[in-house]
Order: sequence, then C-alpha cells, then structure tokens
Amino acid sequence: MHVVIAKVDEVLFEGEAYSLTVPGAEGEMTVLGHHEPLITTLKPGEARVHLVAGDAPKVFSIEGGVLEVRSDGATVIL
Amino acid sequence: MKKSQTVTKAMEAVSAAKMRKAQQTALRGRAYARAAASVLSRVSGAEEHPLMQSRPVAKAIYVVITSDKGLAGGLNSSVLRAAHAHMTERGLTPQSVEVVALGKKAEDYFGKRGFSISKAANAADLAERFAAGEADAVFVAYQNFVSTFEQRPTVRQMFPLTTQELVRVVEDIVPARGLFAQTDTVSAPASYTIEPGESEVLDVLLPRLAQIILHHALLESQASEHSARMVAMKSASDKAGEKQEELTLSFNKARQAAITREVSEIIGGMEAIA
Repeated sequence: MHVVIAKVDEVLFEGEAYSLTVPGAEGEMTVLGHHEPLITTLKPGEARVHLVAGDAPKVFSIEGGVLEVRSDGATVIL
Repeated sequence: MKKSQTVTKAMEAVSAAKMRKAQQTALRGRAYARAAASVLSRVSGAEEHPLMQSRPVAKAIYVVITSDKGLAGGLNSSVLRAAHAHMTERGLTPQSVEVVALGKKAEDYFGKRGFSISKAANAADLAERFAAGEADAVFVAYQNFVSTFEQRPTVRQMFPLTTQELVRVVEDIVPARGLFAQTDTVSAPASYTIEPGESEVLDVLLPRLAQIILHHALLESQASEHSARMVAMKSASDKAGEKQEELTLSFNKARQAAITREVSEIIGGMEAIA
C-alpha cells in the first residue's frame, strides 16, 4: 500500500509499505493494505511504518493530525 | 557596459537555480494538499464550522505577498494593483482593511495610501481573528506561478474557507505547463468511516487547510519572483550585449576617424614643406 506522511512544507515519508501504525482517536491502530476507507484524528505519539512484515519500523513522532485511509493507501497529514 | 552585463548574467543564473528549487518545494506540498482536500470533500457538515461561516464583509484582512527587492519586471506592481482593485470592488476603504504586508514593496505601497500595516501572519492567528469576528474575510494576494514566462496576480479567499477554493488551490499546486506539469485530480472514495466525529476532524483539518493556502501562496510568489527576475535579467543581458556591440562599433568608427585625420594632417604638413 502507498503511504504518505506529510507536513505542510515537508514530506516525511512516501512510498510502498506493509503496514502503518498510528495513535488514532480511539486508540492505537494499524492499517494494512485494502483497509476500508477511514478518516480519523490523531493523538500525539508515534507513527510507525513497516516496509515489510516483521522488519524494524521507521518511527515518526507526531503531535496530532489527520489520517486518511483509502483502499490503495494511507495519508497522514500532520 | 561589459561589467553590467556580467552582473545581469550572474543574477539570471542565480534566479534560475532559485526558481527550480522553489518549484520543487511547491510540488512537495501536493500530496498533503490533495489528501486534505479529499478528506474535506467527504466530511459533511463542514459548512457549519465557524471557519466556514460567511458573513457580510465590513472589515477585511489582506495578506499581500511581494518581494523585498526590485529588478523583477512588473511582478510586484501587478500584485499590488490586483489587491487594490479587489478592495475597491468590494467597497473597502483604507479604514476597514488591515494589510499584512509580506515583502517591502507591499509595505511601501499600502503604507503610503493610509492602510494599517502589520508585517507578520500565520494561519492560526488569522483563523482565530476571523473566528473572533475581528475580520469578516481574509484574502491572500500573490503572484501565481503558471510557467517560467507567465505569472498571474491572484487574490484568494482564505477565510471563510470554502471547498471550491481549496480544490482550486490543490489544482494550482501543479503548474499548467513546463517541467513540473502533471494532472492530478482530487478524488476520494464515496464513503469513509469517520472517527471520532466529523466536527473533531474539521477542528483539526480546517486550520491545516488554511495553512496550506498561505504556505502555497508564499511558494508561488517565490517561484514567480525568481522566474520573473530571471526573465528580466535575461533581457537585460541581451540588451547589454546589443548596446555593447553598438558602442564597440561607434568606438571603432571614432578611432578610425581620428587616425584618418592625423594621417591627412601629417600628409598635409609634408606637402607644405616640400
């Protein structure tokens, strides 16, 4: 799935990934490919991206934002 | 003359490099803006959000973005004229407008005409002031970058936010022609699950969208400034080259004339002696 993590002036991550874990409004959640469309606000915490299952994740600390999940990918706007 | 040509050539090269960089930065914001706009288009009830309430405009804030330096052709004056015309159209007088001047040229122009001027703006402050009723509308005037040779003065409404305006901004982020041209439409799935609720999402999202508009306007102005200066400097270099040829020619003519005169004087003298 295609994952984008972006600030207004900077793209922190963009590329294919296996999973994305973020601190959602209703608790921590993990998004895999073909997830149902979802919009949620994010709490301060860490966003973790696994490029393949089981590898060491890329970690981004965030201070809130919005997650948009579509069938083909996910976008985090910080 | 040769010296001024060297200077304009150098400025041309510098502007070209800066312009490319500004264009690339502008494009980096695209993913962000696209996602934000598609989220907005799927969240209903946005119209009721305080940042999207429109009301009769008695007081307005104009964020006018110009460059600090000149030598960029008619770039700044066209933005200033567009902003001023926009105010006049809406019947706004200097007393009912606050100008946030980003760039010396805007400060000079509106300062001279009796507008109250402030020099710094951030999207969050503007949002707060709009919500508090200090202003009934916030506009941004800047130079939109269409392509290297074409920039267009643009006045955008920042508050109240409207969905159409945002979609337009997103589409604008990609230049119509040239190296970075690309078509990218704003589309989104028909329905989303929304957590925790629509109004919470809007509270987070709308200030960020406003930030996109402002940020984008700044980038566009930068790219426009650099490309306008590049073009202006290019024609200045060309003109300097032409002028130099002309001058060399008249210099050579003058020198030739002087030599001819001297020679004929000498010959005249010799004949007189003989």
